[in-house]
Amino acid sequence: MKLSLNVRKSFADFTLSAGFTVDGDRVGVFGVSGSGKSTLVSMLAGLLEPDSGEIVLDGECLFSSAAGINLRPEQRRIAMVFQQHCLFPHLNVRNNLLYGFRRCPAEYRTIDFDTLTGVLKLDGLLERSVTNLSGGEKQRVALGRAILANPRLLLMDEPLSALDDSLRFQIIPYLRSVSEQFGIPYLFISHSLVEMRLMTDSALVFEKGTLTGQVSSEQLARDRMGQSQAGYINLLKLGSPTAISGMSAYPWGASRLLLSAGTERETSMAELSSKDIILFKQHPEAISARNLLECTVRSLFCSGRKTGVELECAGNTLIAEVVQDAVDELGITPGSTIYAAIKASAFRLLPG
Amino acid sequence: MTMILADADIQSIWLTVRLASVVTVALLILGTPIAWWLARTRSRLKGVLGAVVALPLVLPPSVLGFYLLLAMGPDGPVGQLTRVLGIGALPFTFRGLVVASIFYSLPFMVQPLQNAFESIGERPLEVAATLGASPLDAFFTVALPLARPGFLTASILTFAHTVGEFGVVLMIGGNIPGVSRVASVQIYDHVEALEYAQAHRMAAVMLIFSFIVLLALYVWRPGTMKTTRKD
Repeated sequence: MKLSLNVRKSFADFTLSAGFTVDGDRVGVFGVSGSGKSTLVSMLAGLLEPDSGEIVLDGECLFSSAAGINLRPEQRRIAMVFQQHCLFPHLNVRNNLLYGFRRCPAEYRTIDFDTLTGVLKLDGLLERSVTNLSGGEKQRVALGRAILANPRLLLMDEPLSALDDSLRFQIIPYLRSVSEQFGIPYLFISHSLVEMRLMTDSALVFEKGTLTGQVSSEQLARDRMGQSQAGYINLLKLGSPTAISGMSAYPWGASRLLLSAGTERETSMAELSSKDIILFKQHPEAISARNLLECTVRSLFCSGRKTGVELECAGNTLIAEVVQDAVDELGITPGSTIYAAIKASAFRLLPG
Repeated sequence: MTMILADADIQSIWLTVRLASVVTVALLILGTPIAWWLARTRSRLKGVLGAVVALPLVLPPSVLGFYLLLAMGPDGPVGQLTRVLGIGALPFTFRGLVVASIFYSLPFMVQPLQNAFESIGERPLEVAATLGASPLDAFFTVALPLARPGFLTASILTFAHTVGEFGVVLMIGGNIPGVSRVASVQIYDHVEALEYAQAHRMAAVMLIFSFIVLLALYVWRPGTMKTTRKD
């Protein structure tokens, strides 16, 4: 997907002015609320007309104030998943799913109904009324409805913000399937750095109606580490756990991590904040933290008042954060060996 | 029924039901686009049209009837138009009564529909548009089904209000049996002729009818109906 956009839109107390060209299938739009993200996607979808400018998607002009072009939303083949599920309450799950499919010209129908319901695990829900679904099920139906419209671009406007934390991570694999299994490029709008990293490769950063950066999602998370209360969130891929003295031992690369969280949930991912990693210059003889990893410092980076330390541990990467004084005291330089201590309770298992 | 009511009474009730049915259907067709426009427009004319629609709520029926009579008369604009079209004069005909009742009951159709359309909001229609539905398509497949409770309320209110009209009927239709002598006029005639027994019976029928209509409206809430209609 190649999207070129140069638009301006003014409201009484807010002006959005953005110009960029982005090439990629998993693009993020990042910014705090009120930064203009939703205005941007509304203009892309054709729900809001820019005051001036141009929008070109894959060579086709969707809007041009100079040429007097403004394709209607139904002519753009850009589907949307909204914050709220916005399902049609008068239609059951099947007919909600088929709403866009029936209106999609036959030549564009590459995704069929049965494949979709299989991937999104909607088979058992098809005849149900949408008012009787759980929050996660509703969002899956909304996602399926948008995918089945066989769009050339899918806009996801903070689709996880209305869901609670555990549900968010259950839905993410389904959202990723849009690109991975159905080959539809998407624009993912969010104010969450973790969601950005999980869902996108690159991100457009908006602040107060202006585009302030266009970086990789990984870079964005590192840049924001110093000012984020949660720090940088390391996402760890874990193997199958075994129980050891009241804790769970998870294989992690060539190493093993002890987590105090139970093993009852099927999981493969855990979160670990950069703030929860303590660095030692030498091997501490005895510490209460249950995980002590020997690491090699790969690089250092500045983020606000903090310094990020990229560590290589047992074939994996970890980001820890320290203050500059600690960097000097510990003599942390790229290539040096260092010990990272992590409490067993510092990890948070992600469902799904 | 014939035991209780005279033939003339039954004739007037039948006429009333026929009038109310025709007016309700006509207003469903005319009132829906007006309500849709009022619910969605940002035009300054919204206030003007809204006020015009609401006029019959506050205007004495005789005033409305008087102006309609003038407009429909041989020298009035409507009268001249109907003569040119070969329809003939409207006053003192069933057709004239229908036209007058449409104006008289307009707010009872438009306002509940407007509320229903407004309560749907923009979002469902935007969703439909991003899924490839044209505005007309989205109107019929999303807005209309979602506004169904509003349509039921508006239809019931319009029907009931037309059944109860009196002043406008007298002004436009007069008191012609089988043409314009509706139930309310028939009751008036009975009272004028001191036929209190007949007036009582007719009035009781009207009272029971009105109560049942309102009971239906308040007890059986259309909004809570299960709606799983096919697309």
